[in-house]
Amino acid sequence: MDALTATLRIAASGLGAQSERLRVVSENLANAQSTGNFPGADPYQRKTVTFVSELDRVSGGSLVDVGAIDRDPSAFRLEFEPGNIAADENGYVKLPNVNVLIEMADMTEANRSYEANLQVIRQARDLISMTIDLMRTP
Amino acid sequence: MEPVNLFDLATRQSQWLAVRQTAIAGNIANVNTPGYLARDVEPFEKVLDRTGMMLGSTQPGHMGFGATEASFRTQAQEYNGALLPSKNTVVVENELMKAGEVRRAFEMNTAIVKAFHGMLLSVSKG
Repeated sequence: MDALTATLRIAASGLGAQSERLRVVSENLANAQSTGNFPGADPYQRKTVTFVSELDRVSGGSLVDVGAIDRDPSAFRLEFEPGNIAADENGYVKLPNVNVLIEMADMTEANRSYEANLQVIRQARDLISMTIDLMRTP
Repeated sequence: MEPVNLFDLATRQSQWLAVRQTAIAGNIANVNTPGYLARDVEPFEKVLDRTGMMLGSTQPGHMGFGATEASFRTQAQEYNGALLPSKNTVVVENELMKAGEVRRAFEMNTAIVKAFHGMLLSVSKG
């Protein structure tokens, strides 16, 4: 496989990985207030995503792949709210361990990396069309 | 007919640039991968030094020892900044700068080939 096609392939894998990350961020944000539905129940647990580098045997480049989507083991927030359906016998409700600021920072970073990958695709396309332009008669 | 040296050189450089672009794409795709070390291709001057000593192939059946895409070695780069906790050494800004260099060099390369091609055409057309 020629190197520029491999470039497109690698950058596309980067786009895929970053959009998967953005999906996880949106899940966390959407569920930032999701409590359980019976007394003392655990709420939504924040998800984390890790990437692994993977050698592409066809092109020899290093693709990126979503390795695993894990759960954040940090403690839940507790809030005193006896009227809630998920409140335990002391009146405390467990809220998800999602920090909106961290999710926002994560989102910005995913965005930035996505744009960098897009830029690579744009450039590879330009290099290919420059080469094709050689064949046009002047 | 003796192959025109300039076309050979330009082809080799454009292959090298394409391989470098692949390395950059790999680095940018893995910008958030824990433990990934940024890679780069060996400098073009080194490739030229090496190819001077290679065996020529006189028949199509011979194994090629010339500069093919596979012969450009990529290696993990030395990194002298502070290592992140994730042990990732990619700096996006550096990669984008390298991509700009590749683009400029490629534009120059195709412009030279085009000019040379125009000269050959004007000679052959008379």
